[in-house]
Amino acid sequence: MTRSVRLAARQALLEQRSFWRSAEYALFTFVFPLMILLLIGAANVGSHLPGTDIKNTTVFVPGILAFGVIVAAYVNLGSKVAVLRHDGVLKRIRTTPLPSAAYLGGLLASTVATALLITACTGVIGWLAFRAGPRLAGLPTLAGGLALGIVCFAVLGLAISSVITSAESAGPVAYATFLPIAIISGVFDPTFSGLPAWLSHAVAAFPVKALAQVLQNAYAVRPFPAWDLANLALWTAAGAAFTAWRFRWHT
Amino acid sequence: MTESPAVQVRGLQMSYGAVRVLRGVDFDVRYGEVFCLLGPNGAGKTTTLEILEGFRPPTAGTVRVLGLDPAAQSARLRERAGMVLQECGFPRQARVGELIEIWRTYYPNPRPLADLLEVVELTTVRNTQIRRLSGGQRRRLDFALALAGDPDIVFLDEPTTGFDPEARLRCWAAIENLRGLGKTILLTTHYLDEAERLADRIAILRAGRIELCGTTREVAAQAGLATRISFITPAAVRGGQVATPDGIEMAVHGPRSVCHTGNAAVTLRELLGWALENRLGDLDGLTVTAPSLEDTYLQLTGDAPAATSADGDPS
Repeated sequence: MTRSVRLAARQALLEQRSFWRSAEYALFTFVFPLMILLLIGAANVGSHLPGTDIKNTTVFVPGILAFGVIVAAYVNLGSKVAVLRHDGVLKRIRTTPLPSAAYLGGLLASTVATALLITACTGVIGWLAFRAGPRLAGLPTLAGGLALGIVCFAVLGLAISSVITSAESAGPVAYATFLPIAIISGVFDPTFSGLPAWLSHAVAAFPVKALAQVLQNAYAVRPFPAWDLANLALWTAAGAAFTAWRFRWHT
Repeated sequence: MTESPAVQVRGLQMSYGAVRVLRGVDFDVRYGEVFCLLGPNGAGKTTTLEILEGFRPPTAGTVRVLGLDPAAQSARLRERAGMVLQECGFPRQARVGELIEIWRTYYPNPRPLADLLEVVELTTVRNTQIRRLSGGQRRRLDFALALAGDPDIVFLDEPTTGFDPEARLRCWAAIENLRGLGKTILLTTHYLDEAERLADRIAILRAGRIELCGTTREVAAQAGLATRISFITPAAVRGGQVATPDGIEMAVHGPRSVCHTGNAAVTLRELLGWALENRLGDLDGLTVTAPSLEDTYLQLTGDAPAATSADGDPS
């Protein structure tokens, strides 16, 4: 057991080193969300949510926190595993006595590290640029929401990797399956509204809006996001079940 | 331990749905030898290897590798077996030394890093990112990873397919280095020269069956191929003063005479006796050619040119 943990830690370190060596991954994961944070955030400065004294940026910044978590966990891990499978790296791992759990654990640990780092960057820049920070009483929700969100989207990333059929389509498929949902979930626009009722119900069923609302609760007083936490837990379970069913070590 | 073979395959059958890929394969690989499964594409070489590596359970038959059942004891097998698969990629951003280093942590008794780099001649590129390596270097890195755990047996699936001659030679050198370490090596190939150069023993696999198995010479003998003895036709024979010897099938093709024989030593003795009796001297230009693996293989796969097969008929 301790040997597996040690092996997973070493694997995670190698993954991190490789990640920072690869300009495209690092650039997309960090520059993309932080650029959106600053550009769209600037356009929202001075505005308040209609009929409230809550600043737009106070709900916008946690929305981008959710966005960063999803890019780091879902998009990165999902496309990376698809590429590793397509390139035969996963199959090669199976020729060694390394326990599968240690290898996947290492990939997940590296993903968690990346997600926490992007979260920290977004949080700090959100505070410095817009004075948007979490409520003291919201900190437990923030921690719990981040933990559940990272696990949920990492598991969904493993699940989507099994659907991706080529290395070339890995990134596009991962983005295409979440970016439209992120847009209509209002992640980029705190005042986003006017969706037909059926669509707004449909969007609420996805975990993107759920994670955004949990984190927004940590920033601005809102009803406790019990349904959103349950939503994330359900998607985590569904993603884990799908992964267990469909995960393959080779193409 | 050394009494039982390193690999034992008995009555191995494999079907994918209605397609029978292996139809009863038997062979043994001894400890310390280089054994080559030779056959055309689609013969079942890779399937056989994947069963031995524990990637697929066989449909029927028994398989033992280092005394272990690969399907049931794959975890234990993987600590002692190195595997080089066909077209298996590397993490795109890792460096050579870094990847070998982490591979070593997967095994209970790894070989030293410097030693691994040396065996596969990659010492000079140890800090290079793998995506910058040539095809031949990548394949040698495959070998290094397969060797990382200091395995007792190494499986190589078509190690030089698609390589230029220079890259092939360096791969062969690396494989000969593995042999020098005393590893048992089981490799598949569809290149005759590769099998002939590297293998101690060869099994020719065709359409899911082992057609022949043994050393190059044993295989040729089993295939019924004859040794060819030829010499410059003596003037007295060409002029008709001396008759060709009795009991030896000797064909006079103008300036050269050719005999095919299943027993080269006996035929040579008789020929030299006949030459001595008839004062023909030492038989100028005498050559003795054992049948090559290529002759055997071509006869077996039915691709032999008509002239060769007519010449090659055993007496």
